[in-house]
Amino acid sequence: MSREKLAALGLRLPEFPTTSVGSFPKPDYLAKARAEFAKGELDAEKLRELERKATKFWIETQEKLGVDVLVDGEMYRGDMVAYFAERLPGFTQGGLVRSYGNRYYHKPIITGAVEWPGPVTVEWWKYAQSLTKKPVKGMLTGSYTIMDWSFNEHYPARRATALALAEVIRKEVEALIAAGCKIIQIDEPALSVRPEELPVAIEAMNATTNGLDAYFITHACYGAFERIYPGMLDLAVDNFDLEMSNNDLSLLEVLRAHPFTKDISFGVVDVHTHAMEPESTVRGRVEKALEILPKDQIWIDPDCGLKTRTTEEAIEKLRLCVTAAKAMRN
Amino acid sequence: MTAPAPGLYLSSTGSYPRVGDAPDLQVLRRTIAALDRGERTTADMLDAENELTRRAIADQLKAGLDIVTDGQIRWYDPISHLAGKMENVKIGGLLRFFDTNFYFRQPVLTRKPVRRGPLVVGEYSFARNALGHLPTPGDKAGKLAIKPVLTGPYTLAKFSHAEHPGNGEPGSLASREMRAMAYAEALAAELTALAEAGAELIQVDEPAAIRFPEDWEIFEKALAPLIEARDRVRESGRDLEVALYFYFHDCTALYEKLVNLPADIVGLDFTYDPKLADLIASAGSPKPLGLGLVDARNTRLEDADVIAWQVERLLPKIEGGRAYLGPSSGLEYLPRDRAFAKLELLAKVGEALKALKGPTQ
Repeated sequence: MSREKLAALGLRLPEFPTTSVGSFPKPDYLAKARAEFAKGELDAEKLRELERKATKFWIETQEKLGVDVLVDGEMYRGDMVAYFAERLPGFTQGGLVRSYGNRYYHKPIITGAVEWPGPVTVEWWKYAQSLTKKPVKGMLTGSYTIMDWSFNEHYPARRATALALAEVIRKEVEALIAAGCKIIQIDEPALSVRPEELPVAIEAMNATTNGLDAYFITHACYGAFERIYPGMLDLAVDNFDLEMSNNDLSLLEVLRAHPFTKDISFGVVDVHTHAMEPESTVRGRVEKALEILPKDQIWIDPDCGLKTRTTEEAIEKLRLCVTAAKAMRN
Repeated sequence: MTAPAPGLYLSSTGSYPRVGDAPDLQVLRRTIAALDRGERTTADMLDAENELTRRAIADQLKAGLDIVTDGQIRWYDPISHLAGKMENVKIGGLLRFFDTNFYFRQPVLTRKPVRRGPLVVGEYSFARNALGHLPTPGDKAGKLAIKPVLTGPYTLAKFSHAEHPGNGEPGSLASREMRAMAYAEALAAELTALAEAGAELIQVDEPAAIRFPEDWEIFEKALAPLIEARDRVRESGRDLEVALYFYFHDCTALYEKLVNLPADIVGLDFTYDPKLADLIASAGSPKPLGLGLVDARNTRLEDADVIAWQVERLLPKIEGGRAYLGPSSGLEYLPRDRAFAKLELLAKVGEALKALKGPTQ
């Protein structure tokens, strides 16, 4: 079904299309520039110039590797929720909260009605797409995850918050589609954290994508999927991008319990390790996927965003994905 | 065993933010980062931890709490901080901690985890000493207590995995029950050591027990060694109460089971379902409760009068008329300024109750 949708959108992808989840490592010059910008030592225009340079590098790199559906690499973003919170009226930056160990982030606070201020990501998508003839995904964070990863001082309840955010994200989706974007990924890594709230996440995604003409992917990770499967298949997307390799494909057993009715972007390399999987291991993972999914439903990508790896490691992990896909096509 | 007097006690529920936006509250963060770069020593880190621990205790005193913790400032996370100090445990990758956006490192058991030395006794002793050197509010003199916190054996077991799981038969570490019982043995020894160091109230956190009720039998079995250790401490003539705390999930469905556990105090998270308070108001409680009525996961500050009203209707329904008002969980999920505001809110609730009924204790 999704193949037909892709064709209707004018997208002809090979078997086992390759893609990546979103983020790539920022080059040293950009990390340094972002730090200088934060201290007020670099102006916004200069920073933007460097972000564009890094975006160009990653688009060219993906093309050289032979990736089929590209991403811009998120050179202009830090945290996936804070990026939107910093740009949407209704949010205030909160104080520091621990993420893990000695890592902290400014957790946003919803202090008023959230609003869409106009296109947030569209210019970056246009720029990335202008650099390649291959499709570039629009990259957004889903309303349920933005709600879950923010404090809320304005809305009466979590559902109301998620639905208000869904209205905002829908407008961004519409803007991306109007700009020509045909594949849009709406990340929901918080999808499974409260299994009892899955209906809220489904309602919010439906409010975000329903009736809009694009191929929708959602990425989820670190989850208790056994508690939300197969109910999660009701999410209004065409493709689930799932972290499979970090847990030794144990999620496959969960998926075996019920027919998987969507396409899957099957994570075939673990992004949390410096180690490179042997090509045979990566190919073996795809073969495992074929035990429960028809090949037309399978896309191939890394488990998650690659921003925590070095540039060399990220490129090698991507190469492993492409090599496995090519081997499977043959 | 001398039971504490009836009344409402203002209590911490465990952790406190170890970083704030002000430069002097960044000392631990910066010292650890410098240590990672090889520019500082572990002694520098210990100094920074000590300083932040004193400040966490001072904030709790300033806000007017009766029962304070060391803020768990030294804890990397609630799982690996304890498991990582045991023999036969390696620390593995990151996993999400319940429905928070906080991640813990997963213990990997190479063999049965064994306690070879104190886990938090030193931290408890430091906090007691620090408390003794901080100014005590006049109305709290002689009443303040430091409460050490342990993560319970079932929660530790649920989030650990065995490196060589064996055949999955009972007796192998692949069995959650075996892991839980091994942790229980270690924690029972720690509980005894804490009591010997002077602790009279110990909080044991078991959030996984309400999130995964299918393992209730394992949870109960693993609790037994801790309760037996408590009883032995009491038989030796010391006062000791064990407070079991449950959070990060709705407690309502399990309420009857929770309050009939052999703990002395049961702490509950009221933020997931407003019906929990109604249930307690109707069914009562056979033992003192920890009332987690202040949301430790959201910055919105509750109305002190509304919480006072809740306390006022619940307290008479609690056997012995004793309750511990606190945040719904540890406060480290909030920015530091908001965490302190939540502590101050507890005191405001106490004041509101005094205005209604006279002194809270």
